[in-house]
Amino acid sequence: MSGTWMTTRAWLLMTPLLAVMIAVIGWPLVHTVGLSFTDAKLVGTAGTFVGIDNYVRMLSSANFQRTLVTTAWFAIVSVAAEMVLGVLAALLLNQQFRGRTALRALMILPWALPTVVNATLWRLIYNPEYGALNAALTQIGLIDGYRSWLGEPGSALTALIVADCWKNFPLVALIALAALQAVPRDITAASLVDGAGPLNRFRFVILPYLAGPLMVALVLRTIEAFKVFDIIWVMTRGGPANSTRTLSILVYQEAFSFQRAGSGASLALIVTLLVTLLALAYAALVRKTAGRTA
Amino acid sequence: MSALEIIGVRKTYGEVETLKGIDIALLSGEFLVLLGSSGCGKSTLLNIIAGLAEASGGDVRIGKRSVLGVHPKDRDIAMVFQSYALYPNLSVRRNIGFGLEMRKVPAAERDRAVREVAKLLQIENLLDRKPSQLSGGQRQRVAIGRALVRKPQVFLFDEPLSNLDAKLRMEMRTELKRLHQMLKTTMVYVTHDQIEAMTLATRIAVMRDGRIEQLGTPEEIYDRPATLYVATFVGAPPMNLVDVAVDGGALAFGELVAPVPRLWEDAVREGQRLVLGIRPEALHFGGRGDHLIAAKVDVVELTGPELVVSASVGTQRLTACLPPRTRVEVGQVVELSFDADAMHLFDADSGRRIG
Repeated sequence: MSGTWMTTRAWLLMTPLLAVMIAVIGWPLVHTVGLSFTDAKLVGTAGTFVGIDNYVRMLSSANFQRTLVTTAWFAIVSVAAEMVLGVLAALLLNQQFRGRTALRALMILPWALPTVVNATLWRLIYNPEYGALNAALTQIGLIDGYRSWLGEPGSALTALIVADCWKNFPLVALIALAALQAVPRDITAASLVDGAGPLNRFRFVILPYLAGPLMVALVLRTIEAFKVFDIIWVMTRGGPANSTRTLSILVYQEAFSFQRAGSGASLALIVTLLVTLLALAYAALVRKTAGRTA
Repeated sequence: MSALEIIGVRKTYGEVETLKGIDIALLSGEFLVLLGSSGCGKSTLLNIIAGLAEASGGDVRIGKRSVLGVHPKDRDIAMVFQSYALYPNLSVRRNIGFGLEMRKVPAAERDRAVREVAKLLQIENLLDRKPSQLSGGQRQRVAIGRALVRKPQVFLFDEPLSNLDAKLRMEMRTELKRLHQMLKTTMVYVTHDQIEAMTLATRIAVMRDGRIEQLGTPEEIYDRPATLYVATFVGAPPMNLVDVAVDGGALAFGELVAPVPRLWEDAVREGQRLVLGIRPEALHFGGRGDHLIAAKVDVVELTGPELVVSASVGTQRLTACLPPRTRVEVGQVVELSFDADAMHLFDADSGRRIG
């Protein structure tokens, strides 16, 4: 069979997939790029060509810059907390104890819940009138009266981060737990005989085996956290006083609330570019880590 | 002085008893090999000595001090594992010095000790490499170096040569023997390989089902196996075992009727069922031994240094290790002979040696 025919056949076999990808990814992307150079509204006129005006306006607006900082803060703090909690949970669930299997299954539950359910659940917990958090903190004497955790700019973002962590740390724990199972028993035993304490054992024995898988979790979670929309939309809609507004919420508001399709498209592309840069940086890190632990 | 004492050590996992009372006292400088097949409890015993598993009963003393409940790092032991167990992200230098680093030995002293051991093991040129850049044999040398550098009272080896190929295994075996002769340290070595046991040990404990079947020097184990199990486990090819009965003061086996040797005259009784053991290398071609058997040759295998002949006498099979140039054909009936002092006699019911 000739090489030319093989190549032709490969392209023929890939054609349906390529057609679908062009239809659902390629065309909307090209259309969005085109739209971002116009002043088009969501309804009404197609808009006129404005060059890079939308980009310049968006990047220089205080709104965008504040939102970028909020998004970065949300992503960094929530992902860092998820990593620490996930690894700690995995270390705990890797020990031998009665009921371990049941606890492992239970741990996955928050991650398995739909985000909307998780967000609603945490709204109930944070409720300023009958929320469980207020009740618990009042009863143990940490606060004097009920507070509106999601209604105050000072606490809303932290409250969202807690809710996001609760949902997503099981994913990190699951990945870390799988990696822990791969740590050879002999190496752990050797480190015990060599006199390594728990911290040194973690650093020299466990971490080299965790680093690669954790890096994958870090990439996935950072990108997701940077694009976060649903949990914030259900819990605060970006408020109060835009204190929980992230880039995805800003894109939504620009394109759909204010119906400015052109500038909304430019903003969406800026977010896409930022996430792509993050993904590329992490991909390079993953390659480096894989090379080091090979 | 006893460097290591194992006193009535038992280990149970739920209902299952894997060690059923082990007693061994090891003098300083001895090389004890725990020999047995998989599941006999040898690695469990080693882990109990190391402190990686807890004994369900009994005591372990290292240098007169009971170490039950003592953390592995405080037992004054070092251990070499089958899988090398090197830290993958640390250099060879740090791998060897890891135990000293954890004990906060000053860097200069640590470096000197690492260099000394590396020189002894001829791995000085590998000190800056990572374990992934080493061959199997080099990794095992590093693992041995990590144990040696701490100069502990007792060295523990858990099947350290099992992951190496045959040639490298032989080289490392000689290397270990050389190290033991040079350092004269107390070593406990677990293996299922009888050649390793015979060549390395000053004493061998043959283990079976959580018990010590026989504890003795390699010569005692080979020349005077205490049980049928030891007789068949040690020696390759294994000892020939044939069922015999005491009939009129003689051992009857096929056409062979051999008078009961004087040594065993008082130990056997008329009609008793016995098992006669003869090592393959004790069988000679032709009639130069005390007793003669006619056997039909089934298989002939030339291994190089010897000719392994499998033959049958009635329904029983015999294996003989003959000189390599012996002219033997398959199907031929040959005369094999053996000397009276090459005979081993076991009670057929208890499996224990007689005399």
